[in-house]
Amino acid sequence: MLSAALPTTGAFVREHLRAPLTLALLVAIPTFFVLIFASVLGDFAKALGGTLMSRSATAISAGWAAAFLAGTLAFFQVSSSRGADRRLSAAGLGPWRVASARIAASLAIGTAVSAVAFGTLWLRSGIGHPLHAAVAILSFAVIYIGLGALIGAFVKGALEGSLLVLLLFSLDAFTSPEMTSSGAFAWTPTRSAAELLIAAGGGQASPAADWLGMAVVAVGALSVALAAFWTAARTRS
Amino acid sequence: MLVAMTKREPGTTAGNPYPTGVRATDVVAPPAGESVGMTFDAQTASPIHPPATRSPAVLRVSGVRKSFHRGIWPRRRTIAVLNGASLEVHEGELVGLVGENGSGKSTLMQIVVGLLKRDAGEVDRPARIGYCPQTPMLWDKLTVDEHFDLFAHAYGLDQEAASGSVDALFSELDFARYRGYRIEELSGGTRQKLNLALSLMHEPELLLLDEPYSGFDWETYLRFWEMSERRRDAGMGILIVSHLLAERERLDRMYEIRDGRVGGC
Repeated sequence: MLSAALPTTGAFVREHLRAPLTLALLVAIPTFFVLIFASVLGDFAKALGGTLMSRSATAISAGWAAAFLAGTLAFFQVSSSRGADRRLSAAGLGPWRVASARIAASLAIGTAVSAVAFGTLWLRSGIGHPLHAAVAILSFAVIYIGLGALIGAFVKGALEGSLLVLLLFSLDAFTSPEMTSSGAFAWTPTRSAAELLIAAGGGQASPAADWLGMAVVAVGALSVALAAFWTAARTRS
Repeated sequence: MLVAMTKREPGTTAGNPYPTGVRATDVVAPPAGESVGMTFDAQTASPIHPPATRSPAVLRVSGVRKSFHRGIWPRRRTIAVLNGASLEVHEGELVGLVGENGSGKSTLMQIVVGLLKRDAGEVDRPARIGYCPQTPMLWDKLTVDEHFDLFAHAYGLDQEAASGSVDALFSELDFARYRGYRIEELSGGTRQKLNLALSLMHEPELLLLDEPYSGFDWETYLRFWEMSERRRDAGMGILIVSHLLAERERLDRMYEIRDGRVGGC
């Protein structure tokens, strides 16, 4: 299975990295988020009665950059290749192996995106707990791989799907920890990862509950992504 | 109504598979409601039973039904496309499938391949099949060679077998110079050549071709039929969706799907 999955994964990764605009955005979006979006997020937090400080906003923006890019690319992994993936699956590779290769490709892209976001954050403000921050940023990417793939499996239109990813992202970002004074959005998919990233940016450790919460959501997101990629590659009813 | 309109009988020639004086285009379909499980004589439209010496079937489709559910309430609609489709393709046969736009030809092909689930009915087909979809299902950013690599893995071909097969197909279809090109850089006709070649690279027992020549120039179009006939003569069963009357003379038998209602042969 692995011998078939590796070349397939490699091909799926190349498929995305051969788009020059995608490569440019992999650098531009983290830079934009950490340098500009962070201050916007801080201003919004003040307006909404939140307590998000400038340093925390910068840290969490790196997570949002990884999330946005990974989610959008995961959506397009499903959306733009649905027909070809199903043909490959029917030719003998099967939906599970196609889905596994798609997951592996999404994770590879998500890791690259997270590395760029982490590097940008490091250069911008430094990181108190680099390892914690790296894990948290990667978790943002993994969680959005799940959301992007899920939307891709059920929404066929590229415009509708990417708008839906953007809508979810916006809701998530503007209701993240320390953004509002109310507890109306006590739980969002990235809640634990955000808590952890804010703490890591400020050089503080996080409680075990945040690590556990983040791990549970990330594993759940991977399961959702696998199911979504499988759904896209299987026999349609 | 799915109707078997013609068939090649003993005593016919390879060039004209029909009895002397009879052409495929002369054949008339039997009236609607004719019984399932029969083929029909070209001149009398009376049933002909398959000869005892007929080669084994590589594809048996019987009583396949398929409906699509579209839209959301209150505009939810159910569209019945296939209503009991039955057909057979035998080893060494080149069989046509014709019908109006939207009659369910591509749906039937996709059900046989396994891309679509059927609501009812049976499909008995070999594991090694080739499928050339109507619209090329390819990855825009990958090269021609990368497509062959991916499908070689899917078909379970080793490198030597895949390489030999791919080289032969490049030669047959004359597009080796594009092997390093990405799909987005290819013309429609060259994409279609790759689309066809991917369905042939593992020498399937059953080949399903859904209008495989759209975008081909005349020379490639003729080459396509030569390729198909060679494979038919080597024992491959081929089912091809076709629209052109001129092609009917190239086929051993032909089925027609009418009015979205399906009978069988």
